[in-house]
Amino acid sequence: MIKEIILPELGEGIDGAEVSEVSVTVGDVVAVDETIMVLESDKASMEIPADVSGTISEILVATGDELKPGHVLMKIETTEKNVEAQVTVHKAQPTEPETKPEEFVLSELKTVFGTTGSSENVFASPGVRRLARELGINLQIIKGSGPKGRITKDDLNGYIKLKMAMSSGLIPAPKQEVDFSKWGDVEIQKLTRIKKITGERLQRAWQSIPHVTQFDEADITDIDAYRKELKIDGAKKGIKVTFLPFLMKAATIVLKERPAFNSSLDHTDQHLVFKNYYHLGIAVDTPNGLTVPVVRNVDKKSIFDLSEDLMDLSTRARDKKLKHNEMKGGTFTISSLGGIGGTGFSPIVNPPEVAIMGVSRSAWKQVFDKESGEFQARFVMPFSLSYDHRVIDGAAAAAFTSRLAAVLSDLSYFKD
Amino acid sequence: MAESKHAEIVVIGAGPGGYAAAFRAADLGKQVILIDKDPTLGGVCLNRGCIPSKALLHISKVMEEASHLSKMGITYGEPQIDLDAIRAHKDKIVFQLNEGIAQMAKARKVEWVKGAATFTSNTELSVKTDVGDIAVSFNKCIVAAGSVSATIPGVPADHPSVLTSRTALDLVDIPERLLVIGGGIIGLELGQVYAALGSKVSVVEFLPNLLPGTDSDLVKPLQRKLKKQFESIQLSSKVTTVTPNKKGTLYVTIENEKGTKKEVFNKVLVSVGRKPNTNLLNIEATGVEVNEHGFINVDVYQRTSEKNIFAIGDIVGNPMLAHKATHEGRVAAEVASGHPAAFDVRAIPSVVYTDPEVAWAGLTETEAKDNGIAYEKGEFPWAASGKAIAMDANQGKTKILFDPENKKVLGVGIVGPGAGDMISEGMLAIEMGADAEDISLTVHPHPTLGETFGMAAEVFEGTITDLYVPKK
Repeated sequence: MIKEIILPELGEGIDGAEVSEVSVTVGDVVAVDETIMVLESDKASMEIPADVSGTISEILVATGDELKPGHVLMKIETTEKNVEAQVTVHKAQPTEPETKPEEFVLSELKTVFGTTGSSENVFASPGVRRLARELGINLQIIKGSGPKGRITKDDLNGYIKLKMAMSSGLIPAPKQEVDFSKWGDVEIQKLTRIKKITGERLQRAWQSIPHVTQFDEADITDIDAYRKELKIDGAKKGIKVTFLPFLMKAATIVLKERPAFNSSLDHTDQHLVFKNYYHLGIAVDTPNGLTVPVVRNVDKKSIFDLSEDLMDLSTRARDKKLKHNEMKGGTFTISSLGGIGGTGFSPIVNPPEVAIMGVSRSAWKQVFDKESGEFQARFVMPFSLSYDHRVIDGAAAAAFTSRLAAVLSDLSYFKD
Repeated sequence: MAESKHAEIVVIGAGPGGYAAAFRAADLGKQVILIDKDPTLGGVCLNRGCIPSKALLHISKVMEEASHLSKMGITYGEPQIDLDAIRAHKDKIVFQLNEGIAQMAKARKVEWVKGAATFTSNTELSVKTDVGDIAVSFNKCIVAAGSVSATIPGVPADHPSVLTSRTALDLVDIPERLLVIGGGIIGLELGQVYAALGSKVSVVEFLPNLLPGTDSDLVKPLQRKLKKQFESIQLSSKVTTVTPNKKGTLYVTIENEKGTKKEVFNKVLVSVGRKPNTNLLNIEATGVEVNEHGFINVDVYQRTSEKNIFAIGDIVGNPMLAHKATHEGRVAAEVASGHPAAFDVRAIPSVVYTDPEVAWAGLTETEAKDNGIAYEKGEFPWAASGKAIAMDANQGKTKILFDPENKKVLGVGIVGPGAGDMISEGMLAIEMGADAEDISLTVHPHPTLGETFGMAAEVFEGTITDLYVPKK
């Protein structure tokens, strides 16, 4: 039988994408999960897999097309029978338990008429009343925005959006329009999509996670000297060795010792998930806004490996060439403003992670050395750790940063 | 049993509600069997109700209009009536529509089983067909078995001279004197047909009004016309006995306040309402609840008390109207197919297809007064409509009842030619929650009868310029 492959929801905040590559041609035999095309949004590129196996019989899109979720991409002659075209790309949920759809709907029906009897005395046209039934909305509680208070389809959509926003903890406060031009000359610039998405995520994280930030500093005189040695070696191989790989290695060492910092709360908020892998997100500032590519298996990589990974990811982040997956799966994030300045800041945790490290500008300081009884010039890096207080206690966080400072000051952790 | 079948959805009854249910379910991807005991599809409405009666009413209306032309200087001779030709004309119309439904059923792959269905359990039916009994099992069943003319005690139901709406439409002959028992919609429509074809028609109505329950101002223009067309209209009267005699005529005893009288008629038409066909279905074999009037109880989703059995149309209650059944049928089909439909309408329009037509929708004045519901009224007499005068229809009127608070349309009543077509605008106004100014600000074409709807709202608003209405 012929099945249509439909563009699924692309993930939070992405409402459209451009076709950058069609990976199959008519007649190709594809298996489930095999990539059939690559899309590119403002932020990332995404591979779209086939949801059924079979032979491609028709391709309905071309490179450069702007697509929205729900668009029919191609038709496929399937070998499987009665496969419902259910595509879930990012929401890789297990197959849902089989519920009889008819029973489901019949029980749902009650919500509309259940308490109120009927839609009588409601000012809404028959079409709106039907949509309300389909969406399970009790019209009695909707305030109509149409002429004379008529409930319109837009009112129902608005209600659904509000519900969704409320359930995600994002309650949009009604905002008043301010005429800034009243006070002087202004210019108006539209937010980039990446800025909007990041903004929404940051707000959600900020509102849903009880944040605490711990501040500390590390003596990095020795490893910085070591880094300069490596830098010369690296230059020969064409690898730029920055300080970041050292921070990643150090963080991973401490994360291994303190697994709570590498954990996540599950969706029920009832369990902690400890991860036995160490994928570190690195905040990268790009002309379009902030992105956080993830470096995988940091614990298994050398300083040079990590340097190479970082060069590749940050270049592609700036060119908008990152794939969606390359920004997923992080277990801990480092946000470094060390190259820019500042003495300390409190970063926002990047959920579902539970902790993030913020790095500020290192500086030479006079430090008293007990052994020699003298002040010595040491290169000191101020850093912070913001954490989810539901998962991590203050004492544990203080211990974490102390330990991290200790690791960073001990060259033996970095020399093989 | 010789044969057995299974359907995802089986529909009992192929009337306007039943075939709508079957077709909707099929369009939603269900495998459907449609059962009807008639040899053709379309039920009472198409085969012996709405459609054939409208074919005959069209004839009587044109005859009436033609004779009316004498007032305008055109005179025809006496009409020559060929009853066989009229019958053939009527049958042709019905046949054409029968064929249309059969083709639509075929195109949708709805299986049509001809036979009388009775329940054997809540998941199985037995269908008595020409070729023996067939067992039909189902996942879901939609009962659309309709209704039949009610009978009255004292009147022999099976005598050839005692007609029902069904046999009256067969038009076997034109009786010299016809008695219509019951001055409701069906009685008046058929009375007018027979009167136009030459019968002397008398109407006996038990209640003090024709079209009981209908606002008297809407009935009046019709009653005035019927007085001229009919031999007599006897209200608050009751037929106690109808006795066939040897001469082939009928002795009829009629009782009223003044006493009892005997009259002789050639035929009697019993049109005292309809009763649901619930008793033909062996419904007791299921858990379906039936109320004391024989109607099947359903909820807004057309579900009976038995989860997989739905019921729609005449068999679930009044008003027994095809358009109600059609909508209910589609709701049942959608809910049975897993969609969140419901019979959620503000009003169901009623139309009397006499000449003049009478139509109403939503709240009536009678109802409002009986129940103490507050309303205000905008009324436009057709005597002020150029189109109505040109058509010699100046007896008509259009009235709209409004909510005194928010001025929304609560009900509409129209009498006059085309009232049945015009009521649709009133229905749309009610469903959309239109108020007086929505209607008066809507441009209506001139000159039409339809513009009287806009003008009735203008009268209410005080913005009318086609009448002078002193300020309130």
